[in-house]
Amino acid sequence: MRAFFAIAKREFFSYFVTPIGYVVTAVYVAITGIGFLASFIYYARISQSPAAYQYPGVPDFEETMLSPFLVFCGQVMIFLGPLITMRLLAEERHRGSMELLLSYPVRDAEIIFGKYVAALALLVVMMGGIFVHLCIVAWFATVEPAVLVLGVLAVFLMGAAFVSVGLFISALAKNPITSATTTFGAFFISYILGAVGKDLSEANPAPATWSDQARTIVGFFYRVFRRLVLDLPLDAHAQQMTQGVLQLEDIVYYGVLTAFFLFLTFRVFETRKWRTGV
Amino acid sequence: MIETQGLTKYYGRIPAIQDVTFQIEKGEVVGFLGPNAAGKSTTLRILAGCMPPSSGTARIAGFSVTDNSLEAKRNLGYLPENISIYPEMTVQGFLKYVADIKGVARGEVSREIGRVMERCGLTHMSRRQVGHLSKGYRQRVGLAQALIGNPAVLILDEPTVGLDPRQIIEIREMIRSLADSHTILLSSHILPEVSMVCRRVIIIHQGRIVTQDAMSVLEKSAERVTVWVEAIGSEQTIRNILQGVPGVDLVQLRGGSESTGYRFEVTGLRGHVTPNQIADKLVRAGVAVVALQERSRTLEDIFVEAIATEESLSGSTEQEP
Repeated sequence: MRAFFAIAKREFFSYFVTPIGYVVTAVYVAITGIGFLASFIYYARISQSPAAYQYPGVPDFEETMLSPFLVFCGQVMIFLGPLITMRLLAEERHRGSMELLLSYPVRDAEIIFGKYVAALALLVVMMGGIFVHLCIVAWFATVEPAVLVLGVLAVFLMGAAFVSVGLFISALAKNPITSATTTFGAFFISYILGAVGKDLSEANPAPATWSDQARTIVGFFYRVFRRLVLDLPLDAHAQQMTQGVLQLEDIVYYGVLTAFFLFLTFRVFETRKWRTGV
Repeated sequence: MIETQGLTKYYGRIPAIQDVTFQIEKGEVVGFLGPNAAGKSTTLRILAGCMPPSSGTARIAGFSVTDNSLEAKRNLGYLPENISIYPEMTVQGFLKYVADIKGVARGEVSREIGRVMERCGLTHMSRRQVGHLSKGYRQRVGLAQALIGNPAVLILDEPTVGLDPRQIIEIREMIRSLADSHTILLSSHILPEVSMVCRRVIIIHQGRIVTQDAMSVLEKSAERVTVWVEAIGSEQTIRNILQGVPGVDLVQLRGGSESTGYRFEVTGLRGHVTPNQIADKLVRAGVAVVALQERSRTLEDIFVEAIATEESLSGSTEQEP
């Protein structure tokens, strides 16, 4: 347990000894700040003349302003998440310090969870900006506290899932740049697929002239593909939660996704048994 | 304290080490010698638990490095060949981190850090960042981290490589001072280094152990001297004269003919067999001496010989570690 804390502490402080921790936090706060301002101004305009924006009356604040803003905060992690996770394991290998780490009496779990928790801690620091925005909202508007708490939780869960995917890729990569690029690619492609997937119709795309069997097979694979495209993007399950609707399904989704990628990280870590080098 | 049995490691289909078996008793200081790419680092990495062997077993202080790796690692201090320490950490910060990871009792941590820093001459550098240290000091930090927790076994992979002569001497002195209280396995491809510090050597070449002898045995064979003699005369006469020289224990014909002269290789005890003495005996008997050359067998010769014998036997290709 002490080894876990020592690794997490070292990793967390190394974010702030090298400038990366400050830079990522500053950029995240700036981007989410601009996002907050933009959605606030947009909502203010709508509420002044709803008719001009095709709204029957002043729209729901949570649905129109708060939820899109919080989902956006999570989506920004597509760009910044890879920078948090790229070094975690790839740099130890790249620099050669992994050899030393493995010669100490530590378990794989202490290394992997130590790194993971350090990245989560940085995520919490980054989310400090969002917290300030939500305090402003709570001060000026009448919003249920549950909505705010769930909103922050949703952003955190999205971030935690991003970090677990990034940690897994960092375990695979030989150096931080490949790690960051691959992670970014994975996030961005899944995001685009998700955006495209919203337009996919539910109907079976196979032509009616095909035999029933062919139509059933095509229909099955299409349904699987459509569900994957809709469900896999990490922001897919944040919508409801950011509006204050707590669904077990969404929590389970992020929990399972995070656990799955942590599990894969363990497996990758074990491949050193048959891989060349350390 | 260190024990390996039939240790073998394949990188893909290439064997890096094969059937490495040796045993190191408590308190021994053993040199692990071999040319580059002989499999030294592979063996040491397996012992340090950085990677498992393909087959065979290794034990540190009685604990298997594969089945009981945490216990094995608790008894081990390891200095890798190219040590890489987080450059942004201070010496003290890094050693604190190592002490936490190794599980040094909380109350003992600062005393333990103080002890190893003093031992390695780092006390005045404690607040410096590791990235700003010279190679020599970084190597000291490497040694210091291995000493944290006072493990019974130390495994040092080429501890003096890349250092300047003064730093080499300092590190050697440090290792020598550790020999009283630790079991040490020290790898090197420089023989004098090993002969200065170690009482026994294991020579590895192309992944196999070639020799494992006490230093004194090797040094004894270095006390022998070889003289090349080229002389004109009858083969039997020359041979008889050479065999009559006191101290000579081996005379071998190496070629030549009666007209151009025969070449002999004479081996004997250093100090007793000298070119002067041989020339004197030959000239008195009326044999014309064409050439005489003394070749001392140094430890290097023994090292090269051990490797050469193995090479002619196996004839296999060069391997990367």
